[in-house]
Amino acid sequence: MSLLSPPLRWLAFFACLAATPPLLRLFGVDGGGAVQIGALNDIGIYLILALSLNIILGYAGLFHMGHTAFFAVGAYASAILNTSHGWPILQTMPVAGLLAAFFALLVAGPIIRLRGDYLLVVTIGVVEIVRIVLLNNVFDLTGGANGISGISRAEIFGLRLTTPADLFYLIWAFAGLTVILCSLLENSRFGRALKYIKQDEVAAAGCGINISLYKIQAFVLGAFWAGMAGTLLAVKMRLVDPESFTFSQSVMLFAIVILGGSGSIAGVVLGSFLLIGLQEIFRDFSQARMLAFGAAMVIMMVFRPQGLIPARRRRYDLRGLTGVFPRALGRRGGAEGT
Amino acid sequence: MKRYLLPAALFLLATLSPAMAANVKIGLMAPLTGAYASEGEDMEKLVRLLVEEKNKAGGINGAAVELVVEDDGSTPRDAGNAANRLTAKGVPVVIGTYGSAITEASQEIYAEAGIVQIATGSTSIRLTAKGFARFFRTCPRDDEQGRVAAETIARLGYKKIAILHDNSVYAKGLAEESRDRILKDGIAEIIFYDALQPNERDYSAILTKLKGINPEAILFTGYYTEAGLLLRQMAEMKWFAPMIGGDATNNVGLVEIAGPAAKGYRFISPALPEDIDTPQAKAFLAAYKAKYRSMPSSIWPVLAGDAFNVLAAAIEARGTDPEAIAAYLHRDLKDFDGLSGKISFDEKGDRVGDLYRLYEVDARGKFVLVP
Amino acid sequence: MQEFLQQLTNGLAVGGIYALIALGYTMVYGVLKLINFAHGELFALGAYLGFTLLVTLGLSDFMGGVGVVFLLLIFAMGLVAIAGYFLERVAYRPLRQSNRLAAVVSALGASIFFQNAMMLVYGTKALVYPGGILPSVVVSVLGVEIPLIRILIFASSVLLMCLLFWFIHHTRTGAAVRAVSLDQGAARLMGINVNRIISLIFLIGPALGAAAGVMVGLLYGQIRYDMGVGYGLKAFTAAILGGIGNIPGAMAGGILLGVIEALGAAYISIAWKDAIAFFTLILILIFRPTGLLGERVADKV
Repeated sequence: MSLLSPPLRWLAFFACLAATPPLLRLFGVDGGGAVQIGALNDIGIYLILALSLNIILGYAGLFHMGHTAFFAVGAYASAILNTSHGWPILQTMPVAGLLAAFFALLVAGPIIRLRGDYLLVVTIGVVEIVRIVLLNNVFDLTGGANGISGISRAEIFGLRLTTPADLFYLIWAFAGLTVILCSLLENSRFGRALKYIKQDEVAAAGCGINISLYKIQAFVLGAFWAGMAGTLLAVKMRLVDPESFTFSQSVMLFAIVILGGSGSIAGVVLGSFLLIGLQEIFRDFSQARMLAFGAAMVIMMVFRPQGLIPARRRRYDLRGLTGVFPRALGRRGGAEGT
Repeated sequence: MKRYLLPAALFLLATLSPAMAANVKIGLMAPLTGAYASEGEDMEKLVRLLVEEKNKAGGINGAAVELVVEDDGSTPRDAGNAANRLTAKGVPVVIGTYGSAITEASQEIYAEAGIVQIATGSTSIRLTAKGFARFFRTCPRDDEQGRVAAETIARLGYKKIAILHDNSVYAKGLAEESRDRILKDGIAEIIFYDALQPNERDYSAILTKLKGINPEAILFTGYYTEAGLLLRQMAEMKWFAPMIGGDATNNVGLVEIAGPAAKGYRFISPALPEDIDTPQAKAFLAAYKAKYRSMPSSIWPVLAGDAFNVLAAAIEARGTDPEAIAAYLHRDLKDFDGLSGKISFDEKGDRVGDLYRLYEVDARGKFVLVP
Repeated sequence: MQEFLQQLTNGLAVGGIYALIALGYTMVYGVLKLINFAHGELFALGAYLGFTLLVTLGLSDFMGGVGVVFLLLIFAMGLVAIAGYFLERVAYRPLRQSNRLAAVVSALGASIFFQNAMMLVYGTKALVYPGGILPSVVVSVLGVEIPLIRILIFASSVLLMCLLFWFIHHTRTGAAVRAVSLDQGAARLMGINVNRIISLIFLIGPALGAAAGVMVGLLYGQIRYDMGVGYGLKAFTAAILGGIGNIPGAMAGGILLGVIEALGAAYISIAWKDAIAFFTLILILIFRPTGLLGERVADKV
């Protein structure tokens, strides 16, 4: 029952988005709306990344502030396969995802047992190490500080994607797919297990959930998706360089998830629009742009500590059950998160 | 109803198109925030002053110049957005920007919009190797500077040198070019080659290590802040090996940081405006000093100013059509008297000419031309 | 051997500064379980306020030497403590009852805010402390040449740490701080004003950070609006390395991190220095999941 109305809402949302580029052109916005579409493309990529981070941070509750590391692995894998081995860029996407996932598996294995903030600093460390590895041009693959340029244009069914509007449809189609898959995941056995772990690790373990295994799976899944988002970045920028994968990018993603609403798809979508979009809107403040942005972050957080659109707890229809006590079950527990 | 909508929209577009604007729009994409913000700030100040002076003198062919500034945030992603915004605002020409990777992220957007772009601080070789017909730069390329650096080392007669860069696109490029030259021409032995971490303050570990292997001279290819800190900490250790740097150390900040330890530091750089012997350069510097109470802190804003000057000359001669401007810059602009010396461009859009000079810091902290 | 000792002293000077900043992280974490990501910016603010007093208000024209340093420290520490106090009131106190990560994001926002505020006030260019405040003498200890200024900096950071240690462990207020960090509810029942203790923590931590800022200014001369990010991250790493929430742990972690960096740069590679530092951190945490001196926490049941 509850599955019915949100899909319609999402459909309306994506339909509005899909209509944006022609509308912008129709109303004669300067430059055919390239500015707005460019910004929306940025938002789209961040949205995909943030949703993939949401699996790790939002569902499983792992303090992961190093998501750009996986993003970087994917972007570089695509760039290298495309420029040195001549793969069409979009075909590199699965490989980019798999490599990022494999990297996550390697990293997550030893550190998965670390508690909250220790995990947080280690994931930050991973981002920094990845950046330094890229910068120092290990194995002569990554082009050092120059990065890799000359990535060819994406083609879909023989159609070359050249304009920002073309990329817009590619990125947002993928974003739409991400939203669908995430909502399926949310309600799957796996997704529920992750949320249980987040709520109460000990109890979850007591119910026979293999905590470490599930956590690693969350990491690998999130990284897989982030790696594929890396391909999209390579398609959009047509160059990758180490400075695009800094710690501050990870911070931004982290903030999107928490501020939007940890574990809530709609929240993360709204968070991406706000945090990435505000940076563009605040451009009129010139040098004070980021000052306003930082203040806005604090204010939003103080007024909506649970996130802009907090995750709703899963509700069970208990009327079918007998007895009196189950009625109370749905109301217990209080606020989400710890 | 629908039939009228499209013509109406087209009409709307037409009224918004740059051809109807009375002003000459010139775009400036500069790093106003982020890692290179200090360079971007001066770029904007200097170009604004030039625009002001131009407008006071009647503008370009009677039309006032309107400077449209966008922040490239010192990152490729922001640069892409800034380029989209400038394109949407209908500028025919763009000045900028500083970092090579950042310029690269914008090149294609401008090329597709047919806009003439003049980069001001992006020295990476590959930017002009891609065949963009309307891309120029007023700064020399890394390989040219590498050649001059190697020659300078040969001239000064150092035989055992250490090369230190900071892993940035610019510094690494210069370090590699210099190293290859030095080795190829058998100028000196390179006994140390590594990168330091920029934006840190303590370089004592590196310096202790360097002191242990005792090079005759250190070639540092990074930026002025690190150069200043290195000099200062060398003096603290009472170790006074000669140090030579590239044009990114051409900044008064170096002397401020290093203090008396800067004395004797040498660097190669395009000539400073005060050493350019034209009345325009002298007059402009005086005006800059009067307005901002300081000199341009480095050579990079000056190169942005020169981008404006050549663009103004091109628009004066050929109007605001980007095609015509590019053709003019490629073929007709020869030995233009800029703030950084004579300016001409080759067919790739690179600046030609022998630009580099050797400078030394004197006891008063002034940059003196070494003849 | 001599070079090794030399590198060791290089690392100690840096490590002392890391440790001083790390204390701010660890103290806040100890009572609030909050990573105060804005702490790095408070450190930078200290460096800038020191600059204002020295140059803008012209302190260095009046006097020189140790007196100046003392005044600088007091001035910067006092003002930054006030900034820290307001930071807590505005950005953290409203979030005390909510999700821990909400406060972290608020801290990240505050950090962006402070950094850009400094950029707007002081400009994008690096500012430079005037030279010659402290004598540039090189002291020779056991054949190792150490600039006197580094010894002074290290000594004063150790002194500040000792003062803090004494305060926490040998005063009544210190005992209250320890009580609050153990159990806020119980502390409140014991008649401790928890809010006041938390405010106090947000006065002391930033003040120590400010002292580190002034020291960086005096030692390296150059300060920049974004310096808080790098130092903050390193100091936070140091706090984690030592076991966050643990005061001697932060000191040990800071000094250890400085030494690892110096030795890594000297004997492995300079370009890989930070990677080495983080890699060591990960290794240590794999074997000691709560840091060097962190207490083992049992899973709650």
